[in-house]
Amino acid sequence: MNTQEDQIPASEKPIKITIILSTTAYFISGIRDFTFNLVKNVTGFSNQWAFRFQSIVDELCNNSIEHGSRPGEDIKITFISEKNKSLSVIVEDTGTGPKPKTAQEMYQAVEELKKNPWQIGIRGRGLAQIISKWTDKLDFEDLPTKGLKISIIKYLNPEENKQVSAPRINLGALDFNQPAYAAQPNNIGIGAPIATL
Amino acid sequence: MATPITITSQDISADYPNKTVKILTFSGQLDESNVDDEAKKIYKVIESTPKNLFLIFDFSNLGYLNSKSIGYLTDWYSRVIDTEGKMILAGLLPNVEDILNVVGLTQIMEHYATLDEAKVALK
Repeated sequence: MNTQEDQIPASEKPIKITIILSTTAYFISGIRDFTFNLVKNVTGFSNQWAFRFQSIVDELCNNSIEHGSRPGEDIKITFISEKNKSLSVIVEDTGTGPKPKTAQEMYQAVEELKKNPWQIGIRGRGLAQIISKWTDKLDFEDLPTKGLKISIIKYLNPEENKQVSAPRINLGALDFNQPAYAAQPNNIGIGAPIATL
Repeated sequence: MATPITITSQDISADYPNKTVKILTFSGQLDESNVDDEAKKIYKVIESTPKNLFLIFDFSNLGYLNSKSIGYLTDWYSRVIDTEGKMILAGLLPNVEDILNVVGLTQIMEHYATLDEAKVALK
């Protein structure tokens, strides 16, 4: 039986990728690299947004690893891309972590920090600032397994998706085509010894 | 294994009368796997000069920093300012500057495109 979905060409169907990640945070850099390459090559979002999604996914995963799933257990990350339209990221934990929070508690915590940003200490910027400002929707849902599901969606806006951000005062515009990790001349002068901390 | 990061320190106080001036150069990425351990090293640098410490954070080889790293940055900044010092950032890569923009830090902390400009700014 032909469904509506069957009639959509394969190249236009949403792409869904799910990754099961151990709670050890040490694999997070690999997830960032994967996120960058996925966004840059598959979704239609610009380089700037590929970098931004690195942060978004990193912060979502850090939150789940710290609060939601105990050491030795997993978190699940799902990317759903509708090319040139939107990218969703869903992170689910097992609810067995040291400080599990309910969906209601998360909503309240984020709203509190958004209203009172001066209360943010070492922690708190991930959800309340970075994710809230760089996504169009942030949702929390309690899972039947007592874990937490955090979902974000960002719609591709052609105006926002331009490669170069607004000019900085006296510094010119940011160029996101420049390699993120290219070594640049480190003209720190000669004579003064350099110590590795 | 933690994400690679190297932090070096260079004392350039000889060029600045009556000030303790250090360049802290970061190479790599700061994230959840390494920032807590690396932060302790910066606190030691700050505590070793209780007053008039001028720090330049050279980020020209820093490819990423997470929200907790930013939290530490703000704490270091407060501590240095409170003891009549100064802390400025240099060489921000576009994605790093973008993150610092979105949390409002670039409106608070002085930052310069190059290390040379930052060094001049402290004179």
